[in-house]
Amino acid sequence: MNRICCLSMNHKRASVDILEQFRVNPEDMLPFMQNGSEIYALNTCNRTEVYWINIDDSTIVEMLSHITGIENKLILELSEVFRGREAVEHLFVVAAGLDSLVIGEPQILGQIKDAYRAAVASATSSTLMNKVLHRTFRTAKRIRTETDIGRYPVSIASEAVELATHIFGDIKKSKALIIGAGDMASIAGKRLKERGSTNLSVINRTHKRACDLAAELGGIPKPFDCLMDELTLSDIVICSTGSSDPIISNPIMENVMRARRNSPIILIDIALPRDIDPDVGRLYNCYLYDIDSLKSIVNRHITSRELQAEKAREIIEYELGVLGKWFTSLDANTTIKDLFNLMEDTIEHLLSDMNVSEQEREKMEQSLRLSLKRLLHRPVSFLKEHPSVKHIDTVRRIFQLDENNQDRHKRQ
Amino acid sequence: MTLPWIVLITYILTSIVFITYLMTRKSFLVSLSRLLYVCCTVLHLLVIVLAWHKIHHLPLTSPPQAMNMIIFLASLVFMPLVWRRSTIVLGAFFLPVATCILAFLLPSQSLLLSSAIGSYRYLYPLHTLSVVIGEALFVVAFVTSLVYLIHERIIMRGSLHTPISGLPALMLLDKILYASLSLGFIAITVGMIFGGLWATALEIQIGSIAPKVTAGGVMWAVFALSLHQRFAIGWKGSRTAIITLIGFCLMLVLFFGIRWAYPHAHGIGLL
Repeated sequence: MNRICCLSMNHKRASVDILEQFRVNPEDMLPFMQNGSEIYALNTCNRTEVYWINIDDSTIVEMLSHITGIENKLILELSEVFRGREAVEHLFVVAAGLDSLVIGEPQILGQIKDAYRAAVASATSSTLMNKVLHRTFRTAKRIRTETDIGRYPVSIASEAVELATHIFGDIKKSKALIIGAGDMASIAGKRLKERGSTNLSVINRTHKRACDLAAELGGIPKPFDCLMDELTLSDIVICSTGSSDPIISNPIMENVMRARRNSPIILIDIALPRDIDPDVGRLYNCYLYDIDSLKSIVNRHITSRELQAEKAREIIEYELGVLGKWFTSLDANTTIKDLFNLMEDTIEHLLSDMNVSEQEREKMEQSLRLSLKRLLHRPVSFLKEHPSVKHIDTVRRIFQLDENNQDRHKRQ
Repeated sequence: MTLPWIVLITYILTSIVFITYLMTRKSFLVSLSRLLYVCCTVLHLLVIVLAWHKIHHLPLTSPPQAMNMIIFLASLVFMPLVWRRSTIVLGAFFLPVATCILAFLLPSQSLLLSSAIGSYRYLYPLHTLSVVIGEALFVVAFVTSLVYLIHERIIMRGSLHTPISGLPALMLLDKILYASLSLGFIAITVGMIFGGLWATALEIQIGSIAPKVTAGGVMWAVFALSLHQRFAIGWKGSRTAIITLIGFCLMLVLFFGIRWAYPHAHGIGLL
């Protein structure tokens, strides 16, 4: 795992302007790839991260500077660099949404998967990176299913829709009414549409704006005079106008409830100042939520997500252990391979100093190989049975395998 | 170990699994809880069939037998609800109640006691069976009302971040409540008519069954009022749920209180 490194530039250190500029595609990185190297790049609106294996740090920074046009010094100043286990842990944390602005947000995993597909398509990701990313997907999935990190919404619009589903169940069958055509009304309308609401009306004092929003949401615009009729027919009402006085008063709502024969209605008032008289909430089967009550619910959900993050970190720790074992076994295999390379080099070196016939040379080579294989049998068996980092390191140091590898490269 | 004990242990185990599912929402518990629920119902049916076989008539001639039948029929009504993912948690509210009642009934021998039914035997099972079906549906209505009020409270307080908050939607609960109330009301009404015919046939004096008839009439009126208000002024949701709870308490008073205060309220020493 020590071979993997990460450079992360995100919303915590860099401004939006820099983040917009600091974006990399796998195709741009191809000219910088070396033999046996792997690169994976992730770009989202809040972060750009580059993970690499078997490439020098200086080459990576040089490459990023070349692609993005940002100076090397500035890149290093605004970003964080993680190595080995820390780099993989960071990727797991990002994939689980623990490092996002909104803890536990699910979009990041989709973005990581898209970036992986792009890396595979442009052949910048290979065996090791593939293994790391597949483990990342598994970890993120476990966190989403085994913890409640993404269970409860943390935006006011989503919360409003969630409340409506608790009352009406499948909101596809419920009629929704949006009063107002501002940004908040638009966001809430989009959330309703995402959850399958098809029967949606929009009312606004300026009818043209109601028409525009209705067209955007696939709803029906209605004139402001139809407010009473629409309230009578609707089950979910989202109110967000710029009016300074309440547009739905208690007497109006009493008449509405009488007309709809006390059928339940949920009223979401996300306007400031409020559009709905607070007394309306006391009427029978009127479920009224204003921005304060929604905020308090959302804050509780944020706290709940923070608590769930602890559980998520335990899962990350476990999955890191599993991946670490895989990398260690991979390192053990590499060390065993290096030991046999050392054996071959030793045989070649010993025979090159001897002045003997070809027949005798073959015999000597066979007996030398047999002796050395017997000698290596015990350390190889030991490494296979105990492939820990400590043992691998000890074997590499005793037999000076790294030095031997360097000599081999020089000879080649 | 006898069959009633096995049934009771299965009910206890199923209640634990359902409550665990309600609190944890682990997916693997869904299949397990359904399987256990079917086991409970089948074993319970076996107990009733064996009692029937032993006493040679439908085991509906004493309060324990009637209560046992009510729980069994309510289990049957809950079966399709438990099979739906959106309403499976209702089992976590029904089963503990059912288990507590069965804990008093099943280990005793009261299910095997036979009582004299008298003449006009066909009117008696029609009367008791209709009433017991109606009461089983009121048990369903009671559990649904309880869940409705709990869920409404959760929604009002905005405590949507607890595992228990994933209860069925209010409108769905209201539909179940309405269906069980309406059908229960019809069954009780039919049962009361058959009861009247049976009492007439046996020439039982009205004075001797007055407490039972009066209490039954009051309970019938409460449910009639609930349904009327729903049709007339749209009393959906919490008001219906509260009336159902009151009606159910009244039913319990009828079942136990009248029997305790007037041991011969039926005039012939039955129910």
